[in-house]
Amino acid sequence: MTIKEKGYTHWDGEFQDKKFPWWPITRYGIKLTFRKKFFKLFFPASFLLAVFFLAGIYISERLDDFKSMFGESVPSLQIDPAYFKTYLAGGFLLFIMLIMVIFCGSGLISDDLKHNALQLYFSRPLKKRDYFLGKTAVIVFFLFLLTLVPGFVFIIMKMIFAGSFKFFLSYPWLPLSVIAYSVLVTAFFSFYTLFLSSLNKSRLFVAILIFGIYFGSEILRAIFYENFHNHHFSLLSISANIQQVGAVIFNQKTPYPIHWILSLLVLTAFCILAGFVLKKKVKGVEIVK
Amino acid sequence: MTQKSTGKLSFYLTSLKDVYSFFFFMGRKSKKMKLFFLISILPVVVALIIKINQFFSDRTAIQGIYIFNNMTVVMYLQFLILILALFYGTSVCSEEMEGKTLTYLTTRPIAKSAILLGKYAAYTSLIIILTAIGVTLSFFILNLNDLLNFSLYKILLRDVVVLSLGLICYTSFFTFIGTIMKKSIIFGLVFSFGWENVIQYFPGSTQRFAIAHYLKSLLPAPKTGRFSFLMFRLEPSPPLLAVFMILLITVVFLGLACVLFSWKEYIFED
Amino acid sequence: MKPVIETQHLSKWYGNVLGLSDVTLEIEPGITGILGPNGAGKSTFLKLITGQIKPNIGTCFIKGKKIRNNYPLFSFIGFCPEQDAFFDELTGWQFITGLLRLHHYSPAERDDRAQKALEIVELVEDKDRVIKSYSRGMRQRLKFAQAIAHDPEIVVLDEPLNGLDPLGRRKIIRLIKSYKGEGRTVMVSSHVLPEIEAMTKKIILIHQGKIFAQGDIHYIRDLIETHPHIISIKCSDPRLLASNFIQEEFVLNVKFSSAENTLLVETNNRDKFFSLIPSLSVKNNIEVEEITSPDDNLQAVFDYLVGK
Repeated sequence: MTIKEKGYTHWDGEFQDKKFPWWPITRYGIKLTFRKKFFKLFFPASFLLAVFFLAGIYISERLDDFKSMFGESVPSLQIDPAYFKTYLAGGFLLFIMLIMVIFCGSGLISDDLKHNALQLYFSRPLKKRDYFLGKTAVIVFFLFLLTLVPGFVFIIMKMIFAGSFKFFLSYPWLPLSVIAYSVLVTAFFSFYTLFLSSLNKSRLFVAILIFGIYFGSEILRAIFYENFHNHHFSLLSISANIQQVGAVIFNQKTPYPIHWILSLLVLTAFCILAGFVLKKKVKGVEIVK
Repeated sequence: MTQKSTGKLSFYLTSLKDVYSFFFFMGRKSKKMKLFFLISILPVVVALIIKINQFFSDRTAIQGIYIFNNMTVVMYLQFLILILALFYGTSVCSEEMEGKTLTYLTTRPIAKSAILLGKYAAYTSLIIILTAIGVTLSFFILNLNDLLNFSLYKILLRDVVVLSLGLICYTSFFTFIGTIMKKSIIFGLVFSFGWENVIQYFPGSTQRFAIAHYLKSLLPAPKTGRFSFLMFRLEPSPPLLAVFMILLITVVFLGLACVLFSWKEYIFED
Repeated sequence: MKPVIETQHLSKWYGNVLGLSDVTLEIEPGITGILGPNGAGKSTFLKLITGQIKPNIGTCFIKGKKIRNNYPLFSFIGFCPEQDAFFDELTGWQFITGLLRLHHYSPAERDDRAQKALEIVELVEDKDRVIKSYSRGMRQRLKFAQAIAHDPEIVVLDEPLNGLDPLGRRKIIRLIKSYKGEGRTVMVSSHVLPEIEAMTKKIILIHQGKIFAQGDIHYIRDLIETHPHIISIKCSDPRLLASNFIQEEFVLNVKFSSAENTLLVETNNRDKFFSLIPSLSVKNNIEVEEITSPDDNLQAVFDYLVGK
């Protein structure tokens, strides 16, 4: 027997594709996020708004009791799609989501660039698609916890507190609205975060960009509007666009008198641009000139 | 001062100058500086758009200096200088820690405090230059019709000085934060866009716990009308006191940062 | 001779993990090798003597002065750290001249020294390329260059030969050896004995944060030679082979491994043992498939010393 034949054996079986090759990336990304000291403080605090709104749903079913305790001065609390829109598309939740993506998303690609880990990923049977899916799923996990999960909890708890399906029958499309809005805002923030994370190796820089661009766009909107009195400048603001589309999804009046399609187009265009840049930036080999 | 102490001071200042030169050169070359330059030029683009619109619009144009004072300066004051100071201030220490390059600096014959101060000075200079370029360009664009009115240049000088003081003060604070905390970004963002904005709405003397209060005290009171929402503030402090407080805050935080940096042990994460 | 570097009861903990324990040493001019397996405490020791970290107990003196926060001493010290970290956006030239600037040299002297240092490590042709584009070996040589550019009296090198090809290693070893003749003090750490052996005869053995031995390298070499070695042999008839081995005086112990047809032999004379295998296998018509030496490393030496 020649030496070449000895020492290793050939695999005679068939190679099988793993069902979810991106799952280890997601699992590790979530684990890493939970390891951060400040995140352990922030994570439970991020649900306070949802708890507050849930309390509102409870109070809405016990309004008569509260009125008997505090008199007729207790304002009526209507739980309707507008209530859901106030929570999900409100500025405060968007701010919490921004902080959340800074924690879970700012280092997703920038750390891989910093430590030259992309070569390690792509020398495995892992496609670029799986890599992005894995990274995106980390952000999706945390943002769904803030949007989709509370949205459904509100619907279910409203029916439980009311003791009937009346609420659901009044707004049967509401669960679909919750899903649609959660998917929209999560998809946007995923593209937004991953795009910025791929721009630089410094997580600090990426975090500042995530925050700065979001708030900078809002300041720009305000300044242009004050000067030109044209609501179309709201297309410059990320939060304005999200709130515009969110209002339509929940069948509410849009905050700005411009067509919501324009806001959707802006958000979509940003996601497409981010996708192109990500595809270009994430490579197995970096050529340094 | 004895000859020995003069010699020591001269050596220290030379060290400061050398560290400053090293990091000024490096900061100028870096990719991040180019990106921040683009970001700090954004108000110039806004000014350009407004000016072009004024040329083609039938409406009576608002005075350029009015827009400059109430929009451009505020954009820098309440947003851009915070972003710049936060990034560069925290980077003074964290950049060397994350990059594991601190060893190269601490094995040179220069005091640790000189490393910190020299790097702080280099980064602060760079972001002051960035900001000054943006503010000056915005000023020229918005006051294109009024460039021969030399009294306006006093306003430009005043605003550049106020923004520079803001950068010096905020960067010193974030340098201190970067020295004590490994991951200071969230704290920095919450301070810049939470505390600095919210505290000004608190009554009484609580607003004096914000650096923004002292900076706004050096600027004229906003007239009601457009853009006034951007410059909300309560009772301002006298200008001299405001300058004194800004410089005091700078000196205190830089001093604390120097002491901590010299005393603390930095162990790289493997 | 007065010691250049002196440590007294130096100890360092990282939380609950012991980095270094009660190290008292005097280092004289010349080349001293610090030898130890990975995680032994070599880097911790070098970081302590260069003031990068604070000791929990004990002190360290360089030229009779405490090192911690005593920055003027760094005019005489050059340190080459273990970690592969640089200001990546700079070129090699900018990196060296930038660090030389911090030694307060004039621009002309900076350029001159940088040129000399880069010539020594043979990076002159690549000096204007960004460090990000350098290979592993080039980065290691650049690190070495920054440690020697200011002509220090004391050179502390933490695993300086990592990532270098054999030619590069030989050049750096030759350079380090030349420092001895110039009266400098060089401390070099490594976990590879032949590397240290090529540079110096004075070594310090570190293991698990403690100094195990200090002195001449021949002492260590003898220990390696005389300490029992275990050799694993996979063959067609291990029992027959074992019966032959057991008769030899330099074979101390024979065991049968859990692996199929594998014999574990303990010997105190490797050379004689290896010369015996071919004759025995031919004489008894035994087919030998594989011979390995599981403990042929420094760790085994240390385990032996610990046992001693």
